Amino acid sequence: MRQLDRKAEREIAELLRRNLSSPTASASSASAQALRAAYLARAPHIHWAAVQSPVGRLHLAASERGLLRVAFESDRQRFLAELDPRAHLQHNGAYIEAALEQVQDYFKRPAEPFELKLDLAALTSFQRRVLASIRAIPTGEVWSYADVAAAIGKPRAARAVGQALGSNPIPIVIPCHRVVASDGGLGGYSGGLDRKRYLLQHEGAR
Amino acid sequence: MQPPPRFEQLIEQHHDEIHRYLWRGLWSGGSAQPDQQAEDLTQEVFMRAFEAYGSIRSTKHLRAWLYKIATNCLRSHWNRSQVASTNIDHDLPLEGPAAQPLERLLDEEREQQLHTAISQLPDKQRLAVIMRHLDGLEYRDIAQVLACSQESARANVSHGLRRLRELLLATAQEEG
Repeated sequence: MRQLDRKAEREIAELLRRNLSSPTASASSASAQALRAAYLARAPHIHWAAVQSPVGRLHLAASERGLLRVAFESDRQRFLAELDPRAHLQHNGAYIEAALEQVQDYFKRPAEPFELKLDLAALTSFQRRVLASIRAIPTGEVWSYADVAAAIGKPRAARAVGQALGSNPIPIVIPCHRVVASDGGLGGYSGGLDRKRYLLQHEGAR
Repeated sequence: MQPPPRFEQLIEQHHDEIHRYLWRGLWSGGSAQPDQQAEDLTQEVFMRAFEAYGSIRSTKHLRAWLYKIATNCLRSHWNRSQVASTNIDHDLPLEGPAAQPLERLLDEEREQQLHTAISQLPDKQRLAVIMRHLDGLEYRDIAQVLACSQESARANVSHGLRRLRELLLATAQEEG
């Protein structure tokens, strides 16, 4: 096929740019509004908040199903970047109110149990079982990884239990800090061992 | 890996250009109601993108990715409404008053003439021309959208412009 020379190509392209019709501003704005409504109807809604605590600034996030994240992350942007990118985010919305209040209370009265709905939909069923079992550890007590493995009926799975605890998205509220090594050592903690030590002392654990 | 931008941000950044691209695709494809159809298709594009966004692997070329979904939506729309495809390929006289600048040959009905001319291009050429010269996409991106090589993307744009010029000159000749 014969090619247009560059000059002719530029000429026709320029003609197009200047004369080809576009949608009106009102059509464009109506479409933007309709799209926003459709997005809000479809997207998960996540409410989030930040709170100062004795273990540093915490960020919390919850969906309508319940609390889904407590992060030892002081940087807001980094925290928000790890939430579902499709979600519509709202600062200090209604979903997060109860969690915010109870987490603040915990640092004053650690024996008061958390009464919160949790959203663990993003986890595997094994992780959910492990995390459900450690919610039964009373304040002031600690279990070993082997105890947790036994509690879920998988006594040989202590290592997998350790991994599941390491990826606990809701530390403090799901008290993975109450699980320690069987030799009496602290074991690990996603928030760092200083925080783990503080939380155990705060709860009066020996 | 860089975290993907929030989907809401993607909507804010790209709604207007995707809506305009769809509107022009529909309008130049002969639609009598481009406003309503472009609004519906814009929603379809972003809702399809939304479904795929949870498992998106690369955050590169998101713009081209949206154009690709938009192009697929246009094609499905045309298939659904069974609009006659404009893939005719008859030859047009190339010679004529080419020595004069094209602009002067067209009068105040320029917009209508352009519409008639561009609506006669094959879909692929028409969309390639719009993406390149109205929306400023790189050939690399157009190739991704049309699932073809960069050379082929370039050829579609070039052939589209050439055909457009022939059609406009033919109109001018008829009138002149």
